[in-house]
Amino acid sequence: MYKNIFKYDEMKRAEHMAVRNTVGWYFWTHQLLEITGPDVTAFLDYMFPNDIASLAVGRDRYTVMLNEDGEIIDDVVVMRVSEDTYWVSTLFATKLDDWWYFHQGDYDVEWSEITEDWAMYAVQGPRSRELVNVLAEKSVDGLKFFEIADNAIRGIPCKINRGGFTGEKLGYEIYVNPDDGEALETMLKAEAEKLGGREVTEFQVMAWTLPTEAGFYYMRDLAHTNPLEVGLDRNICWDKDFIGKEALLKVKETGPAREMVGFEVPETDHYIRAKQFGGPGEPVYVDGEEVGRVSKLVYSYVQEKNIGYILAKKDVLHPGDRLNVHGYDIVISGRSWLG
Amino acid sequence: MSKTIDERIPQNSGEGAGFKTFNAVQTPWNKLFSYQEALHYASRFEAVLSAAATQALRIMVPDYETRAQMMCEEAYQRLYVTGQYYGDDDGFGIHPFMCGQFAGALIGDKGDDALLMCGRCQDFGTYRAEKELDVCDWDICGSELCRTTTMSLQGQANASAERRRKGPTMDYLMVEAKGCGDRHCRIIAESREKYPAPPHKLWESFGPAVTDEYKKFTEEEDCVAESMMFREECNYRFVNGTNNETDSSNQMINLSTAASLYILPAVAEAVKRGYVTRDTADHILKCVLEAAGKAMFGERYAIRACREWLGVPDSVGEDGRLLGGLMEVLLQSLVCGYEVEAFNKDEVILVIDRGGLAIGATQEICEAHLWMWNGMVKTLVNAMWSVWEEDSPAGKLRVKIAKKIDKFM
Repeated sequence: MYKNIFKYDEMKRAEHMAVRNTVGWYFWTHQLLEITGPDVTAFLDYMFPNDIASLAVGRDRYTVMLNEDGEIIDDVVVMRVSEDTYWVSTLFATKLDDWWYFHQGDYDVEWSEITEDWAMYAVQGPRSRELVNVLAEKSVDGLKFFEIADNAIRGIPCKINRGGFTGEKLGYEIYVNPDDGEALETMLKAEAEKLGGREVTEFQVMAWTLPTEAGFYYMRDLAHTNPLEVGLDRNICWDKDFIGKEALLKVKETGPAREMVGFEVPETDHYIRAKQFGGPGEPVYVDGEEVGRVSKLVYSYVQEKNIGYILAKKDVLHPGDRLNVHGYDIVISGRSWLG
Repeated sequence: MSKTIDERIPQNSGEGAGFKTFNAVQTPWNKLFSYQEALHYASRFEAVLSAAATQALRIMVPDYETRAQMMCEEAYQRLYVTGQYYGDDDGFGIHPFMCGQFAGALIGDKGDDALLMCGRCQDFGTYRAEKELDVCDWDICGSELCRTTTMSLQGQANASAERRRKGPTMDYLMVEAKGCGDRHCRIIAESREKYPAPPHKLWESFGPAVTDEYKKFTEEEDCVAESMMFREECNYRFVNGTNNETDSSNQMINLSTAASLYILPAVAEAVKRGYVTRDTADHILKCVLEAAGKAMFGERYAIRACREWLGVPDSVGEDGRLLGGLMEVLLQSLVCGYEVEAFNKDEVILVIDRGGLAIGATQEICEAHLWMWNGMVKTLVNAMWSVWEEDSPAGKLRVKIAKKIDKFM
């Protein structure tokens, strides 16, 4: 009954573990906005709470985007591709575009969506550098984390960014013209196989199981939370003005009302609903009072157990606490399972 | 006749009196129905009309397999073509890296919630998706509609996939269907590359699924009765797993019905295929829809309940205003424009915006309503009363409710 949709799926397991043990590659195109203009740095610094002004050319930075209430409305990677030009990688370009439009004011900036111009391939795992170096004309050995540079893959012009959404220390993202995608895929497939790697094809692996093991979020986890609740406040630049700052300062003063905690479900085959499929998520009760909702519940192929997140009232759930959710025992834990 | 309009309270009555704004539809006797109730009413009424239209189709094409296959082919092809031209991937939260036909599950998920078919997504991945519904107003129409909606989803999924990087194909199956008496509707879409199964005809869309052992069956006590957009625990918003979020504000305007989306197009297809002539099809539809309308108020308690529901005062007797009031509630619930030309004990004349009533741009739905209303008035009021179209201006359906003698009625 309720057979686990992850554990027994050998394809998901093989794709997941390829990234953990050797190398996995996959089509991972996000939406891209290119923004430029004399005021571009100041504008982005106002749009995002993390420090954009200090970003050097060729480097990128992860940041959330907030509304006036300090709630997270997107999380993006900002890449500074030249002095006055940035790329912003998002999965919600339409909303982001509207948001910028309504807040542009007197900022002298222009932006356009360039998603159609670039296909992006993730190459992730301990042997990802080896794989990329076999293909790239310039070695990526010196590429720092969150650094993007021009390169070429056997004659195909590309940009290679070191980064990823898997928690792997080594991971790269290759941006090419979509017309070159098929050729790149052929090369990646052949070279990855030589290293014992493979293509990751399952959405649930690339977006859920790999990131969750590393404690990362998908935007559904972050909706209607603020950075202090979900532990994304560490890099907020409080010295500058940004949308949502006033509200967030109040949260900072009083302390967040909620927090994202990890949890594990010992029983393999369960029925606990999580927000990752949509909807409100399973309620979590303590002494009859609802103290949170299950945000995510996947399977860790590394730890061989069900893992997930609960968005809970602050300081109610602690690691080691044992609860029952929808008839299944759970154990509250930390939020990273990669050790 | 005088073409007078009985005195009625204006819709903005009380504005500025300190009450909070409340979205509602209003009967001619100032009874208010909340947005939520109005949407449910419209959905239910249209489901009944759709069920009657399905019965008509069953007369036109008696063989189950022939009918179901025709319905599935027609819906698949239409939704496939529509999906090619009008795909709104961003609007469904389908991200650029998503490949193959599973993205169609996100389209279905959102559509279900908008149509009050509440339930939950149990799985969505590149090779498998599962959606479980607890409620479906269309469950009274018949099992062939369940098959058809599944294939329309297949059409949308296939069209959506063509805009994306090539990925696995998915076979959409409705392995449980409320229209067949099951507790839930359950769509399982599974990749045939990963989960091989013999091919099937289009109409054979009930499975079984290869991945049946992965399904999650929700017990009665955990079932829901409302869409996310009407549930507090969801913050009154539909939210899917890719964080596509909508509220209820545009659901009425976008309401689709089984008749407009599937049944009447299937009737047109039956005509096209020569199973029935257009005249005969209309004759059968008229007969069945009028009969369905008459059945709605065949029992006296139904009339009393309707009067109570609409807030009809005792001073209003047995006349066309009863149906007129009911029609006004439906039209408002469908956000269909109309004007009241006459509303009195002798006659009611409503000039209805055809475009607003032609739900899903299906023009035949206007006549379908007219036939249904004509049946309803016979029992809601009495057999001296009729409903007919008269002197309609361009783009309008001018509906008259009055007494009429017709020796060939």
